[in-house]
Amino acid sequence: MEGFSFVDIFATKGVEYIIVMAFLAAFIYFSRYLAYRSPVPENATEERPVSYFRVPDGYHFHQGHSWLRKEKNSMGVVGLDDFAQKLVGKVESVELPRVGYHVAQGEKGWSLVAGSKSIPMLAPVSGEVVAVNQEILRSPGILSEDPYGKGWLFKVRSPKIESDTRQLLSGKVARAWMEDALDKLRPQNPENLGPVLADGGIPIEGIAPALGGEEWDKLARTHLLTDQV
Amino acid sequence: MERNNTIALPKGKSPTGADTVKGFFRFVLGELKPKGKILTPFNVISGLIILGGLILIVIRFAYGLGSITNLSQEYPWGIWIGFDVVTGVAFAGGAYTLCFVVHILNFKKYEPILKATVLNGFLAYCFYAGALLLDLGRPWNVINPIIGNAFGYSSVLFLVAWHFLLYTICQFVEVFPAVTEWLYWPKVRRYAKLCTTGAVIFGITLSTLHQSGLGALFMMASNKIHPLWYSGNIPILFFVSSIFAGLSMVIAESTISHRVFRAQISPHHHASFNDIVLGMAKGALGALFAYFFLKMIDLIHGSQWSLINTPMGYWYLVEIIGGIVIPIILFTVAILKNNVRLVQFTAVITALGVILNRLNISVIAFKWYSANRYYPSWAEIWVTAAVICMEIWAFRWIVSRMPIMNEHPAFPEEEKIDHKEAEVVQWKVSAS
Amino acid sequence: MTISRRKFLQVAGLTGSALLAGGRKPADAAGSAQAAQVGQAEKKGVEFYGMLVDTTKCIGCRSCEEACNEKNKLPKPEVSFSSDSVFEKKRDTTPEAYTVLNKFPNPKDPEKPIFVRKQCMHCNQPACATACLVKALEKTPEGPVRYNKDRCMGCRYCMVSCPFDAPKYEYNSNMPYLQKCVFCSDLVNKGESPACVEACPEGASLFGKRRELIEIARQRIYQNPDKYHPYIYGEHEAGGTSMLFLSSVPVEKLDFRMNVGTLPYPEKTTGFLYAVPHIFILWPTFLYGLSYLTSQKKDKESGHGEE
Repeated sequence: MEGFSFVDIFATKGVEYIIVMAFLAAFIYFSRYLAYRSPVPENATEERPVSYFRVPDGYHFHQGHSWLRKEKNSMGVVGLDDFAQKLVGKVESVELPRVGYHVAQGEKGWSLVAGSKSIPMLAPVSGEVVAVNQEILRSPGILSEDPYGKGWLFKVRSPKIESDTRQLLSGKVARAWMEDALDKLRPQNPENLGPVLADGGIPIEGIAPALGGEEWDKLARTHLLTDQV
Repeated sequence: MERNNTIALPKGKSPTGADTVKGFFRFVLGELKPKGKILTPFNVISGLIILGGLILIVIRFAYGLGSITNLSQEYPWGIWIGFDVVTGVAFAGGAYTLCFVVHILNFKKYEPILKATVLNGFLAYCFYAGALLLDLGRPWNVINPIIGNAFGYSSVLFLVAWHFLLYTICQFVEVFPAVTEWLYWPKVRRYAKLCTTGAVIFGITLSTLHQSGLGALFMMASNKIHPLWYSGNIPILFFVSSIFAGLSMVIAESTISHRVFRAQISPHHHASFNDIVLGMAKGALGALFAYFFLKMIDLIHGSQWSLINTPMGYWYLVEIIGGIVIPIILFTVAILKNNVRLVQFTAVITALGVILNRLNISVIAFKWYSANRYYPSWAEIWVTAAVICMEIWAFRWIVSRMPIMNEHPAFPEEEKIDHKEAEVVQWKVSAS
Repeated sequence: MTISRRKFLQVAGLTGSALLAGGRKPADAAGSAQAAQVGQAEKKGVEFYGMLVDTTKCIGCRSCEEACNEKNKLPKPEVSFSSDSVFEKKRDTTPEAYTVLNKFPNPKDPEKPIFVRKQCMHCNQPACATACLVKALEKTPEGPVRYNKDRCMGCRYCMVSCPFDAPKYEYNSNMPYLQKCVFCSDLVNKGESPACVEACPEGASLFGKRRELIEIARQRIYQNPDKYHPYIYGEHEAGGTSMLFLSSVPVEKLDFRMNVGTLPYPEKTTGFLYAVPHIFILWPTFLYGLSYLTSQKKDKESGHGEE
């Protein structure tokens, strides 16, 4: 630069900033696009419609088909498992304990209301209820979508959580127990179910209502171990 | 066992009534009423300061900047820029640092204080942008670089101004979920939460650039800033010091908030507080350590040794030793001894060191050779104090009403659970 | 990362509005650093005008000050332009006086003091124009750095950046403007000489193309080695300025700033500004990658209980 005429060393700055904005826009768009399209297959096989009962790791299951997920500082989250949800089917409302209430492991924790029937379930852990899931109270349908995540029922503070957990099942052992439970569910008289189970599908109104007819709540209670409650 | 042991929420009814426009205004206006005692010593003193500040501001707009400030042709920038804007923004650096730690590195341990820190950062930017408007000669033209027909993109200040605006929006997006919980707008909240990661990433990028940008503002004043402070690396130094300035401010502010808003904080949060403070002390220590060596490189690179033996040189040593070396030593001791009190004390010293550094570059080492040195007028100090008090009032109003220090009972933290497909059991169609 | 449409629209909206508001695109759209350096003006053959101030010829009559005052319609000063009493103190430009004379003792000839004009130097690459975020201060291709007062918002960043402290501010007005010599840009941009040059009776201030003025200055030095100190102040200072000064004594004796350096001042910010787009691209990529990686390794609590 000999310094006799006009030189603008920032002449291209405007274009550079426009390139930056284009980059950011493209970045956002592509990262969203990739996130949506990233391969997590819904169902691995499409040949035959099979029903999956989810028994995830990290959860501790009570034989009454409720689960506990442990958190820090003796806190735990409680819910009902995929089996219970599919067993009872369409739940109209859930009756949950109030905050401050004490639940006891193996005793009634809450009730599911479907039709005129009320199905109690056992609590997997003892402790004091510190929070209740308001979403479930408003839309119990979440139970069928996501019984292990958004479908959590309430949180407890449980000083004896470690010893209580030892009474519960998880991992491979839990999956074996679930297979057992499914076996027990197999109907005594198959003719009742023919069309429902021919394609392996779970009846929408719930397995118990489909199998048990008018008194299906007794069937549900039997499998949820609350027939004496 | 009772049957009616449930919490009932009336279906579909918002507990705040803010789901209509009229309801919204009624709710918000109702919330403007002060809670608690009005005539506390703090309220009275800060109220008087604010009142005085407002009067001074009116005078400033009626008679010009010269009427209440000590700005001169020699010193175009005083403490309204040097302290309110430059130092204030450095202190708000805690917001992007903690967002990085919690949202990018996924250290959920610091989550309890995140909302308060981001809120503080948001309010800091809002109020310091306000203080900037006071300093501008013609503040109504401040929209010119935003919508004007001539973008001065050769200017570092252009960049800083735009980043201020964008970053304030980012911080608002990060704070907005808490506002929606207060207003009880669950659907809006869900959308707001989706934007969080993007706002965080964009916010950290913007922060890096405008924290260093505030330093780059002084690059062209090369023959006016004392050589011990001026270097080509001022932007990097400003960026690194904003990290420990921000963390120190977070430590100091959360200490005060934990006492003032004690009732709101869950026992879970209280228990982890000491842990959080020590963790932040470690972060601040790391940044201080790096900063010290960066400063040493600058000192040697500029061959400025001989200047240390001058009055300004001694002042430089005060800033380095008092503001950097001593905090390094004290933080190390405090971390080794798990001493939270010492951490809080050192945080205050570090903050003072940062204030000193920023003021040095903007007004003290700036034209240090001048016969008429600048010192702030009492009115400038008063207005600065008023701005700070207003910010504290806003912070207090928000924290007393919105779920900042705690979780809203109706919106507890949801966790995303990944379900692996291997963890399923098949319903066998045929009997085994 | 689940960024909703909202964020995308936000960014797109900002992009769109910025484009609509018209970021200025360079006439030369090639956009490479090389191309930018060549400069549009040179292609059209427009060169800087300048002013050569020969302090050996200045008699201190202050006609230049008076002419400037009239041309720019500045308020009349309290002390008249013909008074010498102003020289008792060192003077600086003010919002009401764009150019001022200062008197210095002459070591070579005590009878003939040296008078030196002081005003904006109209640098080739002005720090103030680079600093101005609303382009209120602009370097015109003909040389003058002119002030567009409607755009100014009074941030005074130009005052901080100027190595010569040329711009002055109206602190005592509630509608303040910046005040500095604008090299009579309306005249110079047409090739006519500014008011102060027209008024100078001795020809101490000379107007012409900067290239030619430097030739003239060099000639004067070569032809009169005892009269002139061999230095043209403004030839290289701050990368070169339109105002050029000749003197009979070393210029540091005349209160000229010697610590300005020869690097053009805007180049002191290029290190930072050139890095900005790089950070805008690298930081989000890096941060997104980091957040993606750390979200994968969620520590799971033990999933195997005992019976």
